[in-house]
Amino acid sequence: MRLRLYPPLLSVCSLTAFVLWMATGLYAQPAPTSPLQKPREFSASSILVERIVPPEDLLMPEDTRISIYENVISELIKTKIFKHVYRSGDRQADTAPDLITLRLTPEVFKPGSQKEREVITIAGATSIQVRLEFIARDGKVSLEKVVNGKVRFYGENLRATYDLAKKVGKVVEKSF
Amino acid sequence: MDKRTSMLGTDPHILTIRCQPFRRLPWRRSALLSLGLMLFLAANSQPAFSQRTSTPRKFSSHSISGVKFVIGLENLKQGAKGTITSAHGGLEFSSGKASAKIPSSSIQDIFTGEESRQDVGGMKGAIVESVIPYGGGRVVSLFSHRVDVLTVEYVDSSGGFHGAIFVLPAGRAAMFRDELVAQGAKAFLHTEAPKPGEQKQ
Repeated sequence: MRLRLYPPLLSVCSLTAFVLWMATGLYAQPAPTSPLQKPREFSASSILVERIVPPEDLLMPEDTRISIYENVISELIKTKIFKHVYRSGDRQADTAPDLITLRLTPEVFKPGSQKEREVITIAGATSIQVRLEFIARDGKVSLEKVVNGKVRFYGENLRATYDLAKKVGKVVEKSF
Repeated sequence: MDKRTSMLGTDPHILTIRCQPFRRLPWRRSALLSLGLMLFLAANSQPAFSQRTSTPRKFSSHSISGVKFVIGLENLKQGAKGTITSAHGGLEFSSGKASAKIPSSSIQDIFTGEESRQDVGGMKGAIVESVIPYGGGRVVSLFSHRVDVLTVEYVDSSGGFHGAIFVLPAGRAAMFRDELVAQGAKAFLHTEAPKPGEQKQ
């Protein structure tokens, strides 16, 4: 029996074969190195998060300040990079070896509006900009970064602090 | 001819039909019945009125229900709703079986603020908005209500600084702060921070 190959069928088969070949090629590529294998810039076994004190010229609601502090602590605990995450004023941190201090200084705070966000969509975003400073025992600033937290479309204003804390967590994961 | 019909000068047949129920129930009996009913109602309502005046409503000024916990307490889920109490020498928040306490002596400062929250917001609001056609869902976002925000700064046993945030029904936070201060909590006078955008008038 003679097998008849229709041109459309042939093209579909060849396309499928090409896609499969491409897919296997992609899978065959070496996987990106896991964060554990990455060379770390810094190392510390414990971290102390300082109390957030905004500059005098920057008026920031207290709930926002506290929410940043608490969210950053919970994000640092989630990373599991540090053995201990100490809070500001914790006496146990005095004796902790290899301690690094995280100072968060708010630089910009734009209070948004949940109503505006949900009605107009493009307006009413809440944004916070914070300078991160990782300070070693000797008082030297080992790492300095600026991170932003925003809530654009849906959610309460404090959602911006959660976004900011997530980014702080990413900075820590990259650097430690 | 009947006396009454002659006085009224109407057709006796019609009168007979119209007055049928009254004939069955004479006016004296109906008056007695209505009087009895009134007496019964008066007798029943009297204890209710006297109860309201003699015994005060069961309302504790130290606890506020319908409070939303935002962040800052251990063993409690963020966003949990429950009751906040300023008794037994501190602040206590309980939501279902879980509860947390901040002793008054460990409270360093208390802040109160106002905010406006959407009646239907977040993901639930987004779904509701998407269901209403022609972009009419945005009208839902216009409905909002005022709330009070209570921020409490406190220290743990090893001196670690904590902060807890609660969302209270409007007009309750200042009173609650005063109650905590009366129990020994510290609270300083503060300059007012900028209110969120929705409060701009």
